[in-house]
Amino acid sequence: MALVAVLPLLTLSCSETPPPQQHHKTQFMALGTLVTVSLWGVDEDDAAEAVRTVEDELNRIHKTWHAWQPSTLTEINAALAAGKTYSADPPTLALLRKAQDLAHRSGQLFDPAIGKLVALWGFQSDDRPDAPPPARADIERLLANLPDMNDLVISGDSLSSTNRDLKLDLGGFAKGYAVDQAIERLRALGIDNAIVNAGGDLRAIGAHGERPWRIGIRDPQSAGVIATVDTQGDESVFTSGNYERFFTWDGVRYHHIIDPRTGYPATGTVSATVIHRDASTADAAATALLIAGPGKWRRVARDMGVTQVMLIDEDMHVTMTPEMEQRVYFRTETPPQVTVSEP
Amino acid sequence: MTRADIIVVAFTLALLPFLYGTFWNRQGPADTALIIDESGREFSVPLDSGQQLRIDGPLGVSVLEIADGRIRFLDSPCRGKQCIHSGWLDESGEFAACLPNRVSVAVSGGEPLYDSINF
Repeated sequence: MALVAVLPLLTLSCSETPPPQQHHKTQFMALGTLVTVSLWGVDEDDAAEAVRTVEDELNRIHKTWHAWQPSTLTEINAALAAGKTYSADPPTLALLRKAQDLAHRSGQLFDPAIGKLVALWGFQSDDRPDAPPPARADIERLLANLPDMNDLVISGDSLSSTNRDLKLDLGGFAKGYAVDQAIERLRALGIDNAIVNAGGDLRAIGAHGERPWRIGIRDPQSAGVIATVDTQGDESVFTSGNYERFFTWDGVRYHHIIDPRTGYPATGTVSATVIHRDASTADAAATALLIAGPGKWRRVARDMGVTQVMLIDEDMHVTMTPEMEQRVYFRTETPPQVTVSEP
Repeated sequence: MTRADIIVVAFTLALLPFLYGTFWNRQGPADTALIIDESGREFSVPLDSGQQLRIDGPLGVSVLEIADGRIRFLDSPCRGKQCIHSGWLDESGEFAACLPNRVSVAVSGGEPLYDSINF
């Protein structure tokens, strides 16, 4: 009888606690941010090899797509600005085609062609100089001939531009692309249970043993967590937030997500969270939805094919799609006011 | 019920709070900070004592403060000061980083509430 009482507890302890070596969590700096790779059910040697593989891949992508340090991207930008064509390799062409498609589906709100505008705001630097926001006249001059991804012409393996002001900056997309590539590398190594988190944006595959991976979504107004979501199978969780990079000048805060319609930081939405299978789409969609704001996010979500969306506005009012509402559990003492709306 | 049964049942009941706390009531408070500097060196520091740490980076010295079981960036040579705006870290799984000065802090301990944090 006593054994009957003890056994369930021992069984519980066995099922809930994997041997320590089954869960590996490693952090390193890459892509200009902190990357965390979580693995489950992998032995120590395989885990070390997997982390090395991911780190090498992310460093390769960082060097290729860096927007302001010498890279393939800066070579492309220099050629396009000079009115020349650039012969690109297949991976580069595939990435730019994907960016072009996502930009088109976002109504050009996700616009990787506005590198000049981003640079004008000073956000193409590791540490923005202590300087005022750009003059309105300079912003309007760029807006008058603002490029979008339709100006990038991909013909065969050559790239050219119909707008000399086109300057590619894949800031709203490269992290998603890199996370997708990292997950592909892990899968090629036979790893089926993992999270790759690059600076807060992540893709999770498989599970943490018998339970799903549990993700905390950060509160945009504090360092704490506002909500949790358990991932299912293979999902990316990406958030664009106006708190990630910003500067304050004369008491006004300016963040780094520039609305290509106005030339100024997007207003109306503090953070946009997207759950979607591939990280590239989730990344671009989160950026586009934050820019779209409360009035236009539904159309952008529909056109980009994302169905799990959560927006938080400046008053901490939460708007969610029904599919997202089924997934998210709020952790705050006082749950926020929530509106559920079809996209 | 034999005397042995009673002893084992009592032992089991005594064990319940421990098992509950360990496996079900996943506790969030962190007890350790993992600091990574520009060269990739890792420092593990307990959060149970008040102290200030000075970490060298490419821009200068990042100052971290540990107090009351939590840690924060107290001072930083970067311009944006977003590492300082991150505030205190005290829940397992949270982290903050000064990217310009290439210093990051992640806190852990006990059983984390989350496997990963999205922001």
